[in-house]
Amino acid sequence: MTAPLPEVASRKYDLTFARWVRDNVEGGDKMNMCMQCGTCSGSCPIGPEMDNGPRKTFMMVRAGMREEVLSSSTLWNCTSCYRCTVRCPRGIKVTAIIQGLAQVAAKEGYAPKGENASFANAFWWSASTFGKTDERLVPTLYYFSAGFMEGIRKSLDNLKIAINMLKAGRMHIGMPHTIKDKKGLKAILAKAAEIEKAKG
Amino acid sequence: MTEKKTFTYYPGCSSQGSGRHLDESIRAVMPELGIGMVDIEDWNCCGASVGQIGGGPLSNLALTGRNMAQAEKQGNKDVITGCAACYLNTHGGNEKIKADEQKKADINEALGAAGLSYNGELQVHHAMEVLVNEVGMDNIADRAKANPLKGLKVAGWVGCQTVRPFAGTDSGGNYDTYEDPDFLDDITEACGAEAVAYDSKTNCCGGSVAVMKPEKTLHLMEKILNSAKQAGADVISTPCPLCQTNLEMYQDSINKKFGTDYNFPVVFPTQLMAVAFGMEAKKDAGLHRQTIRAEKLEKMAKK
Ligand code: SF4
Ligand code: SF4
Ligand code: SF4
Ligand code: SF4
Repeated sequence: MTAPLPEVASRKYDLTFARWVRDNVEGGDKMNMCMQCGTCSGSCPIGPEMDNGPRKTFMMVRAGMREEVLSSSTLWNCTSCYRCTVRCPRGIKVTAIIQGLAQVAAKEGYAPKGENASFANAFWWSASTFGKTDERLVPTLYYFSAGFMEGIRKSLDNLKIAINMLKAGRMHIGMPHTIKDKKGLKAILAKAAEIEKAKG
Repeated sequence: MTEKKTFTYYPGCSSQGSGRHLDESIRAVMPELGIGMVDIEDWNCCGASVGQIGGGPLSNLALTGRNMAQAEKQGNKDVITGCAACYLNTHGGNEKIKADEQKKADINEALGAAGLSYNGELQVHHAMEVLVNEVGMDNIADRAKANPLKGLKVAGWVGCQTVRPFAGTDSGGNYDTYEDPDFLDDITEACGAEAVAYDSKTNCCGGSVAVMKPEKTLHLMEKILNSAKQAGADVISTPCPLCQTNLEMYQDSINKKFGTDYNFPVVFPTQLMAVAFGMEAKKDAGLHRQTIRAEKLEKMAKK
């Protein structure tokens, strides 16, 4: 006779995080449809740069692994190529969910320095200050967000590219382009931030 | 030409920088095809794909809200943009505002701070979608009789964001398929050039990750260049300004990393059209803005 199976302490999944994602992240309401087929991760062009990829991320959300999900490199390497979204057999908005989680991670302070989140902040600074994105200032700010020497190194790496772009008239010297009604835009964004904050 | 239809044009930030030649060639060819364009008055950046991370979702949506409010005041119901990222954000944002009364109310409350409002009556289109569905290939081919690009081999690189984000939605551009769309090759052929078959047509170059951390995505771009070269293409044509800039500016780094010797021109379909329409190489096609010159195409230009 075979020995009886050992008792295994059952692990209870904490669904609080999964429910929160369902209610607060765009596309999260359909995440419970995920059948873990792996089409998304298998289609992802940048999979090797991701620790978990979308499929595993979704399982981790279900398993309540809040810390691991929010500090995962998956969120910062997504190129928004939408390959996963068009291929998901369950019609889940995979890209939107990954981006939504990235945004939560940035807000909660999980985003690593010198990654997409720094770029996003630099970008937002330019967009909200000038009403336009300055393609020179955003990368520069971003490069320096990773530290002074890193900033110098990256800027030099890109010097040749910058010179070529200047010559082609695709980069300009001088003040950033701005919109006329900067004051109006500022008021709109301040109001939007206020509404957003009031909702928590 | 068919009856003239006018769109309100959203140029996007890249139109004043890295994507100037896209903007210039769109402005040149659209009126030739009966499409009028009037810029959104004092438009602002749409926030691109990272705006919601940097600014939060509602503030990010307010950027699109302001553009829509400005455009609505100008009267035309249809908005056109040439940048894939602008389209993704502006079309996506506009649909979000239209679909959700609460969001619309919030956006309008924010817009009110600058005396603006948006009723949600606009429809945002991508320039490629307008060429496919509004203009039609026959009309492009007809106009391209002026200077057909005979003998030019073109690898049409669709990239990601022009077709995939709104796949399967009512306003997703109605491209034939999302895995292997034909529209870019159709434009090439309408211009009298030859569309080569190759296997990286809808591959991703790494997008904004390529801008920030090129070392992570150089192999993706190398694959696109390699398969276009294998297919015998003279030039790559892509509708997306970020694709164009990425693939052009990283060729040096790619050569260094992979020991290759690419010097491959990457242009926009609207630049091909401008040349095929017999328009000016510089003023209309913006060919002087290539950092890797498209020599064969330049030689074909009539002016
Ligand atoms: S493709 Fe869709 S169903 Fe399959 S694992 Fe990914 S999200 Fe889940
Ligand atoms: S959208 Fe992001 S997660 Fe999805 S396949 Fe592309 S890179 Fe991967
Ligand atoms: S997506 Fe890019 S080009 Fe389009 S408006 Fe925003 S920053 Fe500018
Ligand atoms: S190919 Fe690259 S730049 Fe073009 S849409 Fe995809 S990610 Fe964006």
